[in-house]
Amino acid sequence: MALQTLESMGPLHGYGLARRIEQTSGDLLQLNYGTLYPALLKLEQEGFIASRWGVSENNRRAKFYELTKAGQRQLKRCAADWEQTTAILARFLTPAEGA
Amino acid sequence: MMRKLRSLWLRLRGLFGIRDENDEFSVELESHIAMHTEDGIRSGLAPQEARRRALIRLGGAEQTRQAWRERRTLPWVESLVQDVRFGFRMLARNRAFTTVVVLTLAIGIGVSATAFTWINGVLLQPLGGVADPGRLVTLESVTPGGAWVPNSYPDYIDFRQHLKLVNGIAVTKPAAFSVGKEDHADRVWGELVSGNFFAVLGVIPEQGRVFLPAEYGDTPGAFPVVVISDRYWRAHLNTDPDIVGKTLRINQHELTIVGVTPPAFHGSMPVTAYDLWIPYMQQPVLNGVSTWMLRDRHNRNMLGIARLKQGVTADQARQELKVLADRMAIANADVSEGMSATLLPLWKSPHGPQGLLVGPLRILMGVCILVLLIVCANVANLQLARATVREKEFSARLALGAGRSRLARQVLTESLLLTFTGAALGVAATPWMSRALRYLMPPGPMQQLVAMDTRPDLAVLAFTVGLCVFAAAAAGLAPALQVSRMNLSVRMNEGGRSGSAGRRNRLRSVLVASEVALALVALVGAGLFARGFQSTLHIDPGFEPNNVLLSQFYLNTSGYNLQQRKEFCRSLSERMQAAPGVTDVAYSDGVPLGFEPSWWEELKIEGYAPRPNENMNIFRNVISPGYLPLMHIPIVEGRNFTEQDNEADDSPAVMIVNESFARHFFPNGDPIGHKVHGWGSWFRIVGVAKDAKYHYLGESNVPYFYVPFRQLYRTDMSLAFYVRTQRDPESVLSTLRVQTRAIDPTVTVFDAVPLKEFIGASLYPQKLAASLMAILGAIAVLLAAVGLYSVMAYWVAQRTQEIGVRMALGAQPRHVLRMVVLQGLKLTAGGLAAGTLLALAMSRLVSAVSFTNSGMGSNAKLMGDGGADPLIFLAAALFLCALATMAAYLPARRAASIDPMEALRTE
Repeated sequence: MALQTLESMGPLHGYGLARRIEQTSGDLLQLNYGTLYPALLKLEQEGFIASRWGVSENNRRAKFYELTKAGQRQLKRCAADWEQTTAILARFLTPAEGA
Repeated sequence: MMRKLRSLWLRLRGLFGIRDENDEFSVELESHIAMHTEDGIRSGLAPQEARRRALIRLGGAEQTRQAWRERRTLPWVESLVQDVRFGFRMLARNRAFTTVVVLTLAIGIGVSATAFTWINGVLLQPLGGVADPGRLVTLESVTPGGAWVPNSYPDYIDFRQHLKLVNGIAVTKPAAFSVGKEDHADRVWGELVSGNFFAVLGVIPEQGRVFLPAEYGDTPGAFPVVVISDRYWRAHLNTDPDIVGKTLRINQHELTIVGVTPPAFHGSMPVTAYDLWIPYMQQPVLNGVSTWMLRDRHNRNMLGIARLKQGVTADQARQELKVLADRMAIANADVSEGMSATLLPLWKSPHGPQGLLVGPLRILMGVCILVLLIVCANVANLQLARATVREKEFSARLALGAGRSRLARQVLTESLLLTFTGAALGVAATPWMSRALRYLMPPGPMQQLVAMDTRPDLAVLAFTVGLCVFAAAAAGLAPALQVSRMNLSVRMNEGGRSGSAGRRNRLRSVLVASEVALALVALVGAGLFARGFQSTLHIDPGFEPNNVLLSQFYLNTSGYNLQQRKEFCRSLSERMQAAPGVTDVAYSDGVPLGFEPSWWEELKIEGYAPRPNENMNIFRNVISPGYLPLMHIPIVEGRNFTEQDNEADDSPAVMIVNESFARHFFPNGDPIGHKVHGWGSWFRIVGVAKDAKYHYLGESNVPYFYVPFRQLYRTDMSLAFYVRTQRDPESVLSTLRVQTRAIDPTVTVFDAVPLKEFIGASLYPQKLAASLMAILGAIAVLLAAVGLYSVMAYWVAQRTQEIGVRMALGAQPRHVLRMVVLQGLKLTAGGLAAGTLLALAMSRLVSAVSFTNSGMGSNAKLMGDGGADPLIFLAAALFLCALATMAAYLPARRAASIDPMEALRTE
């Protein structure tokens, strides 16, 4: 999710990312912003994202996160996995045709 | 996978330099909150409210920081580091406790690892550098009396040709050689071996080759080649890379070096390091032994080693060998009647030093287990006691929110710290202590021969350390877990008056009692061995060893023939006789109570019909006429040998027998004048000498006989030269050297020692057992005392309040004293009762262990008689009681001197 957001939005800081995810989900996902940071750290440790210090739109020092090459690959893989999973689930959940 | 590793690495790195990053994250978090607040203000909230909402949405700044930190690094490593730091602080604070536990563990682990290393080296992996040692067995001939003896070369040839279940048999005869030019020769020990020796053992040479099949033959005098050890090559030949093909001057003959053995190989005898291997067929050339002796079945001087075929058990091969040997005994009835042969595991071989070490080492192993048990009980005890004292601390931590598993982990960390420190010390000391085996080896030439792999066996070490660590950890952990299960508020309010203490005290009482029991066993053991040794010391050897200088000559290594040797002896004894301060001079083949094997001869005695299977192999010595007077062995009947009993044709062969011989073979008559057959001719008994001790001081009287040097001395015999002096025997050593040199400058005097010292060697196994037991017994008692004291001290400390109340209610200090001491003695009494039973069982077991399984000393036991000597038991028990009283008295006195008010206030 964070990866997807980062891909579509480009580099973002933590707060922006949190707001963005909230907006994208149509406020359905009310996550605790605090949990985002360990998750970002994990992704960074695994090399999927990189971070650097920058200045936010209203001139505040903030850390910006962006997707790395590995992150892009990982995103594709995850998306493919997810599609496959949902496809399988869909087959079970939608009423069988011509049964 | 790589991702996981990468993140693990980053997290590990995160363990260091945490501060900066934490600050950085604080900034990031702060900017997050600021942005959120700004957004809030923009949407119309008051700044205060906006910030509050931002924080709520974040889920708390501190919580976020905590979650981030946990992801940032490895939290368990961090807490481990904390635990270790805390553990070290705790250990440093309780210095006495730490020192005792660490030293106890170090001693226990060090001692037992050392013992196991020896046992491993001597008994389990006796030979280094050979292929598949598990299939190697010792081949022994068996006399009609059941004693194990070496084999003759012709027997070996028969074995080699007919045995189908073994992959080859080799024979070997250890021997001393003189290497180098006449005037500066070194004495080097080696083995005269059958050609297939290396093939049977499976030794791959480091350089050159071993003996070729073409050199396996039985042609006397053939194959002037030698294989040398890696050790000799390095120490004496400058590690010459082109050594193969060069010659070595051995016993004044040039032999070609064909190969160098690998460093791990030291020959065919456990614990012993040889440097040269020469085909046995060189024996006539090098040692001047007549070739007929190589064909003599009587000449049983070869140690046999066989390799079992794959899939053949020792029992099957033994059966085959026995059938063959029985057939041979019938075919060669003149020399081998009643003889048989058998296969033994290598360590059971009665020859060489390991034969002497087996008994003591087995006992050592038992004692080490004893010490190890005491150590475990001790450490467990101390840990239990300490955990009790720390109950309050544990409760406080739990109350402050520590998780139970966290508490357990902390206690475990501490226990492990403690035990690993002890174990590390013990392990570090092991290789150093292992080398002490050298000091336990018999004195004399064997000292230089000792070679053993003293590297501790990893499996053994792991086991020992593991046992101790387990004991300590379990003892430390159990109370901590128990505490964590308790109702906290009750615990905190209760102070020291704990309800669970009773149960734990019971466990500790059992531990203390068992320690006392084990200590008693160790003490009784030490006492019994020391007593056995002491009583052996007082045995009269039957001759007078004081003021006699003994020196051994290796004339064959100087290329002497038989006649020259006899001439050498005669002229040296004439010269020494004339030297000042010398009263007697004599020479012989064997030395009494020495380590060299004693030889025997199969006799036929005129007028005596041996019982079926009676052992007619009688031990003998070949002596000069001066021998019996010099030794102060009285002739009780008949006459001594004279110079007229010589090799001349008109001089009849004569013999002197001892009293036991006379009693046994001539129960109702005077033995003088009777004829005895041996060495192919008839001897006439001319005298009876008083009984003496010949092989071990502890032996019972055995039949024995003497024959004259000039009539019977042969080339394969040794030569011992005795000089009795008026004063210190060492004083004539220089005279002996000068006189020897005057006769022949090429002859060197080797191994000159006072006879008194030399025969001390015969006491060696007993001395070894006694001193080992004394050392370990002392360790065991010390450990038990420490255990007893610590438990009593903790017990008293725990009951400080109770004692205070008692005293406030009018109890006198002596009442308190009595109560505490009685408690200690009660524990001790229980332990003593159990220990007595154990010690009785042990003494019965050990008294059955004979220290040698060779044919020479079959009656000699390690322990003296009186395996159940009540005096020793009583003394040991009393000693332990006194110790226990002391251990209880010290804390009791402290308890009794408590000011009641003070005690009641200690909350």
